[in-house]
This record gives sequence, structure tokens and C-alpha cells, in this order.
Amino acid sequence: MKTARKKRKFEWGYLLLLPGLGYILFFLAGATGMMIAQSFGLFNYTAESRFSLEYWKGILNETFVDDLLYSLKIAVCASLLCICIAYPLALIIKKLPGERTILSLVKIPMFIPALVASLLILNIIDYHGILNIILVRLQIIEEPLRLRNDSWGVAALLIQAWKNIPFMLIIMYSAVEAVRRDVIDAARNLGAGRLAVFTQIIVPLTLPSALVSVILVFIRVFNDYVISKTAGPLYPNTISNLMHVTAYLYNDWPSAACIGCLMVITAVSFVSVYNYLSKKLLQNL
Amino acid sequence: MAEGLSLKNITKRFGNFTALNNVSFDIKPGEFVTLLGPSGCGKTTLLRIIAGFLEPDEGEVWFGDQKMNDVPPHKRNTAMCFQSYALFPHKTVYENIRFGLRMRKVPASQHRALVEEAMAMVNLTGLEDRKPYELSGGQQQRVALARSVVVRPNILLFDEPLSNLDAKLREKVRVEIRDLQRKLGITAIYVTHDQSEALAISDTIISMNQGAIIQKSDPRTIYDRPVSKFIADFIGTANLVPCTVTRQQGSLFQVQSPYGMLLAEDKDFPHDSGEYYLCIRPEDVRPVLDGEPAGEDNILEGVVKNSIYMGNTLDLFARVQTEPLRASVWKDYHIEEGTRIRFAVPRSKIRILEG
Repeated sequence: MKTARKKRKFEWGYLLLLPGLGYILFFLAGATGMMIAQSFGLFNYTAESRFSLEYWKGILNETFVDDLLYSLKIAVCASLLCICIAYPLALIIKKLPGERTILSLVKIPMFIPALVASLLILNIIDYHGILNIILVRLQIIEEPLRLRNDSWGVAALLIQAWKNIPFMLIIMYSAVEAVRRDVIDAARNLGAGRLAVFTQIIVPLTLPSALVSVILVFIRVFNDYVISKTAGPLYPNTISNLMHVTAYLYNDWPSAACIGCLMVITAVSFVSVYNYLSKKLLQNL
Repeated sequence: MAEGLSLKNITKRFGNFTALNNVSFDIKPGEFVTLLGPSGCGKTTLLRIIAGFLEPDEGEVWFGDQKMNDVPPHKRNTAMCFQSYALFPHKTVYENIRFGLRMRKVPASQHRALVEEAMAMVNLTGLEDRKPYELSGGQQQRVALARSVVVRPNILLFDEPLSNLDAKLREKVRVEIRDLQRKLGITAIYVTHDQSEALAISDTIISMNQGAIIQKSDPRTIYDRPVSKFIADFIGTANLVPCTVTRQQGSLFQVQSPYGMLLAEDKDFPHDSGEYYLCIRPEDVRPVLDGEPAGEDNILEGVVKNSIYMGNTLDLFARVQTEPLRASVWKDYHIEEGTRIRFAVPRSKIRILEG
């Protein structure tokens, strides 16, 4: 018998990947490497560059932990709020006449920059905003409510929802639409009523998309800078804000790099655990 | 329990389009009935009305002695095999088949035995844990079949179930469907546009066109004695030419046609004379070699334009007078293109049809 050992020839064709892959590798690996190096005191723009572990030692302070927890809290809340609205909405829109028109109207927030969206909504919920004026005039409340920069982050949460629901809706709508009509008919034909069709067919078939859209929105909100800056609490705020302040206000680039590293690590581990759990969930469906 | 089915004056419109126009028929318990017709003839609409997915605008649907118009699909004891199979993509083969049992509240202790029995019936044993996408088209079709029969429906519905399979497999599975239906004694309604499938599988063929029933009869009758030009043309192939008919005596007619003056024996034709169509099946045309006696048969003289060897037959495309004539003859004839030849057609094989 001939041995299957073959001389592996270098495939020159792989070089065609260079423009795309090279670009990604250079900027992703380069930037990540730079960030890691800076967190150890190298490439320091604002002080002498030398290797040091002191930045890492000093980073896990109270502010950082508060900000991390706030970022996680707002990201989890926003993604859950979004899915709670977007999922039923996708199902309802599918049933409505003129679904295309409704869908294109609902997409509008996606084309409005986060900063503009943030300021627009602040106009409504501000201390002298439309909402407060109406509530006071109607004598429902005596004093205007403080809704922006509140300590819990309600305003930030609202704006995140406004901005991210359309994004989620597009994913969920195509998931709902992808459930084939004849599969639903088959279920009805075999004895499934409305509720059973929903729980046995529609939910299991759209759940993978729901899980993915939740994690996408989670990452978007977790990494948010603008919305929290304008509408979020003064303290704590998102990690992105902490990183920005550390780098530009305190001129402490190595510490900012540490924060950046931890941010990436948190996001990646969160996504990994989430993916693992959702895989388990889908398997047991 | 098999159940009979009656449709009474079913009419269904989609906007201005009348999909079904006053359709009525009865099906006996345990009968295998095919709805046959070209696409857009209303056969699938009719099937969906029987399953309850569509409501008729007028008319009544009866299963046995129960009126079903207001019964939703999930409460009708029918089971449908879809053209696309419509398997649940997220469930295993086992769970797909079990679904109907769960929905119909069959006690869980019986599920395994029933599913395994259904899987054995369609030769799927061993594939329980596969997902639909891991199966071939033929296997998916079998899962769909098992999923339908496991719930012991009163009526089995088939919506072109074999049209996505290749020709060989199609012939195999249709025999299996037929056997299974006979064994279980379930009434079956089968929609297809494939006439050979309809002939092979049915007790009764209901031929439809433009939302109406044209003919309802057993396969042999519908093929040998079609009632209209449409059916003769749609089911099998036919030489159809206009003709002028005069009754000679009894069931014997004199037919003046582009093929010449012919004699036809047609017991079913009700009129005495007039302008109609004559129909000759290609396989009823036989070449008469020199010196061979033709007896009482009609003789048509023509020139072979194309001679096509099909393996099981030899197909001849001839020209008789000015009219094309198609003949499907014994495969061992050697008849060259351009040959002048005489064809014999028995009187009883010429059928006179209304347009």
C-alpha cells in the first residue's frame, strides 16, 4: 500500500486573502498588541516608557468596579428590555397589513446617530422637557421629575432601547419571516392549536436569532460611550467613559490601556459563557 | 377508522379569480382518490379546504356524517403530506413523528411503540436521532409519511408529495404509499399534476380544469374513455383532430377527418352527427407491413417523418395526408425516416370527443 504522505505544496492562492485578512490582522492584532504593551508601561505617550506592573496593581479600585458593574447592568437591562419589545413586535408586525411600511418606519432610529438620538430624547425627558411640562400642567406631579443623569441610569436605558430596538427588530423579523408557512400548516394539521404552534414551532425556530440579537445589543450597550456620557448618571458611568477620562483627563494612558484590556476580557468572557449556555439551551429544546 | 368525505357545491374565489366553481363529489371510506389537473386548476385549493387551511366561500365539507366547515384544522382528523415535506427542522426524526401524538393527547406511554411501528412501516428504523437536514429527500418524504400515518387519521391528504424526488424513487415511493394506505385502510386524497402517477396510484381519478371537475372515474376508464378533448390531451398523449361525424347504425360512426374517411365504434358518444374531435392513442396505432391483412381496421397511409427509438417502444411521427400522426409501436420494428407506410387503427380505438 502506498503511503498517504504527500508533500504539502504551498498554495499561492492564499495570498489573495492578504488585502482583506492583512488589513484586519494589522489593525486588530496591531491595536490589541499596542494596548497590551501600553498597559505594561511601554509606548507611554505621557511619561517615560518602561516596563512596569504598577498600572495593573492600581487598576482594580472602587471606581473601576462600580463602572464595570454599571456597564454590565445597563447592558443586561437594555438587551433584555429590547428583546422583550422587539420579539413580540416582530410577531405582531408579521400579522399586520402593510407590514413593509411599518417595518421601514420602525427602522428610522437606526439612521439617527446616537448623539442626536440622545439629545432628542433628553429634550423630552429633561427637567424642563416636554414630558415634565405636560405632567406638571396636568397637575399629576408638583415638581418636575429628574429623569436625565439619574443615578440608576433610566434615561440612558430608554435611549439605548430607542436606538437598539429597530436593530433587533430587523433580526427578529427576518427570523419570524423565515418560519415556513407549510411547517406551521403541518403542525396545525397534526393537531396543534395556536398556543402549541407558538411554543412548539415559532419559538424554537426563532430562539437562535433572539439569542444572537440579545448578545449583539449587549455588546453595543456595554461598549457605549456617547449615550451614557450625555444621559447617564454622573457616577458611576460606563467603562468607556472611565477609559476616556483616564486617558485624556488624567493623562494616564497605561491605566486606560489596562481598562481597555479588562473591557475586552469581560466582553469576550461574557459572550463565551453566553454562547455556551445558549447552545445548551437550544440542544435541549 | 376510515371515513368517507363529501364536498357539496364548493366555491372559492381569490379576488376576481374563481379558483373553484361549484365543485361536488363523494369519496367512499378507504378509497384512494387523486385530484389531477394542470397547475392553477384548483386541486391544491380543494385539498387545503379539506384540511381546513382555507374556508370555502360557498358549499359544505362533510367527513362521514359530520359537517366540518366550522371545525379548525387542528380538530379535523386529517393528516397531510406536503410537497416540501414541511418537517420540523429543529426536531429529530423521532420527535417529528411523535409531534402529532403529543398534540392529540395520546398517552405518553404509547408514544415509543407507535412511533417505532410507523418508522418500521416506512423503513426508517435506525434514523430516530437524525435531524431532517441530515436526511436525503426520499428519507425526508418517508418521515413525512410516517408522521402522517402515526396519528391514524381518518383521511390522508397528499399535496404532490413526490414531485421533489427523482423519477426512479418516485415510482418506488408511490407503490409504498399505495401499499401503506391499503394496509391501514385510510381514505386518501392525493393531489398531482403527473398523469402517470395518478393512473398508477388511484382507485378513482378526479380530473380538474379551471376550478371545475371534468371527469371522475377509475384510471382505466379515464384513459380509455375520456369524456373531453382536454382530458384526452392531458392524460397520456393523443392524436386529436377535428372531424365531421355521422352515425351509421348503433354505435358505428362514419368520421370525415384530415386523416381521411374512418369508421369508429364509440358506445359513449351521444350525438348522431356534427363537428367534433377524434382521438387516437399512439399505442393503438399499428404498422401494417406489405401483404399483412388489416381486417376491419381503418387504414391510414402516411410518411414517417421522425422515428425515435425509446428503448421500450419505437415512437413514430408520421404525416397522414397533411396531418401529423403519432404512433407508438413495438420496439423491434425497424422503420426508417422517410418510409411510406400504412397504419391500422381498430374501429373501437377511435374515440369521438366534444371540444
